[in-house]
Amino acid sequence: MRHFLPLALVCLLGSLLPMAPIAAAQEPPSPVVFTPRPDSEIPAGPFGDLVRKGEKIFTQTGKYAGKYVGNDLTCESCHLDRGRKPYAAPLWGAYVSYPRFRTKNMKVSRLGERIQGCFRFSMNGVAPPLAGDTIRSIVAYSFWMSKGAPVGTPLVGTGMYHMPPTSHKPDPFNGKKVYKARCALCHGADGLGASSGGDVAFPPVWGPRSYNAGAGLAKVGKLAGFIKMNMPLSKGDTLSDRDAWDVAAYVDSQPRPADPRKKS
Amino acid sequence: MNPSRCFIRYLTLPAMFLLMLSSLPAAQAGDLIEKGKTIAREGNGLPGSTACMECHRFHGGGMPSIASPRIAGQPQKYIEHEILGVKAGTRFAPVMAGVVNNLSRSDIRAVAAWYASVRTPKLRDVSPYDPKLVALGKRIALKGEWKKNVPACVLCHGPEGRGIPPHFPYIKGQNKGYLLQQLMSFAFLKRADDPQGLMRGIARRLSLQERKAVAEYFASLTPPPADGQPDTSPSGKETR
Ligand code: HEC
Ligand code: HEC
Repeated sequence: MRHFLPLALVCLLGSLLPMAPIAAAQEPPSPVVFTPRPDSEIPAGPFGDLVRKGEKIFTQTGKYAGKYVGNDLTCESCHLDRGRKPYAAPLWGAYVSYPRFRTKNMKVSRLGERIQGCFRFSMNGVAPPLAGDTIRSIVAYSFWMSKGAPVGTPLVGTGMYHMPPTSHKPDPFNGKKVYKARCALCHGADGLGASSGGDVAFPPVWGPRSYNAGAGLAKVGKLAGFIKMNMPLSKGDTLSDRDAWDVAAYVDSQPRPADPRKKS
Repeated sequence: MNPSRCFIRYLTLPAMFLLMLSSLPAAQAGDLIEKGKTIAREGNGLPGSTACMECHRFHGGGMPSIASPRIAGQPQKYIEHEILGVKAGTRFAPVMAGVVNNLSRSDIRAVAAWYASVRTPKLRDVSPYDPKLVALGKRIALKGEWKKNVPACVLCHGPEGRGIPPHFPYIKGQNKGYLLQQLMSFAFLKRADDPQGLMRGIARRLSLQERKAVAEYFASLTPPPADGQPDTSPSGKETR
């Protein structure tokens, strides 16, 4: 599904431009590894300022966009390496994939609207206005990061990792064992994370200060994909698929804030 | 005889005992620190025992000249864990091994309690900090080196490296010789007591230059008042 739109675009372009190589329309183009430009290339001036502001909001969301945030997470808690890491829904991948149709609300969403979604669900907060500074800065940050990314070619590591389908039913009991052995060190046996001198250090993975039940990670498959490639931190891709499914089922069986769409 | 009454009688004794115990901890913690203090100053009295203060100083400031770490205010649990690691051989430390070998489990708990409770100012490091290395180290510390799968150091060692108790020690204000030595030990698997091999993986992926740089950067900062405590001095706050 993810690669369908860009692919469709390639096909469309291929048929519109007679000069385009025919092969592109027949064989799916092979995925390209993309690396965003280094920070040092962020230009001086108003555009650069907006980009830098977007990065601040992204990495210290509570401090720079506090009124829209309802938990202890930052955007970077899930979009690792300041939104750059492959398979942690990187911003460079996001910029080139919108507008796009989403089944969550059955409409074609713009990037700004997608970001609003993460504020509402993943950050358990409220959506900042589309035309306001917060969304504009994050969109600018995302735009800058995607500079040089080919449009219409699948890029390696956009979105979250899609777990291959499994025949076994994810088992939260085994998941609890995996959690204790591989996750509790940082996120705490109680899932509430850890603080350092009053500042949030390890983010909570459940409980009142974590993502709410309407968030992407509240779906076991999405969470399993995130964990598989990214957790334990710096040890991505060391859990077996089965353990990733099970620990995701365990984490998502724990209490967390309700889905705001279901509150009356 | 009424079985439930009998049951209650059996319960009252342990209950009273528990009540007595609950008034103990404060006094016990004090005793433990006192005992640790003595071991730190004089050793534990067994033949051949050495006082911790000979390398770590009485107030835990360490000795930069011999790369002996500052341990004042590290979490008690972390200090205990490290002494046990040295004893068990999972942490390679030939000098330290000779010293802690004859410490009992309760001696270890006691010295850990002492050093966790003391505070001391930073000692002068062996040489001035190289601004170029500090700048590179700062970048890795605050942003990571993700193309080698190295996350920002501060994600696990707390903002500015002030520690996340009880498992993640503070590293800001530690002496540079010790920091570099430990990164080398992790990289070459001589220190293997880190949970899940997290530090072994990270240290191995850094180049020698990068290890030097992060050591230099964290050493250049002021130590936290205690593990996990924010630094209130003007130079203490490093934001990303
Ligand atoms: C609790 C984890 C979490 C947090 C916190 C979070 N997100 Fe997300 N975000 C996700 C998930 C999961 C997706 C969906 C990725 C997918 O479907 O492949 C996503 C998708 C996105 C996308 C679209 C990516 C794409 O490739 O389609 C953007 C843009 C985005 N988030 C921005 C943000 C911003 C900005 C913040 C902070 C305000 C934020 N996110 C906070 C989990 C999170
Ligand atoms: C070494 C410490 C460490 C370990 C072990 C670890 N994590 Fe994390 N985890 C982190 C950190 C740090 C972040 C936030 C990253 C950031 O802000 O850049 C995070 C983020 C997350 C998030 C997204 C944010 C949130 O709080 O919801 C989830 C979910 C998560 N981890 C689950 C797990 C699971 C499941 C395991 C065990 C398989 C695990 N982690 C093991 C350190 C760790």
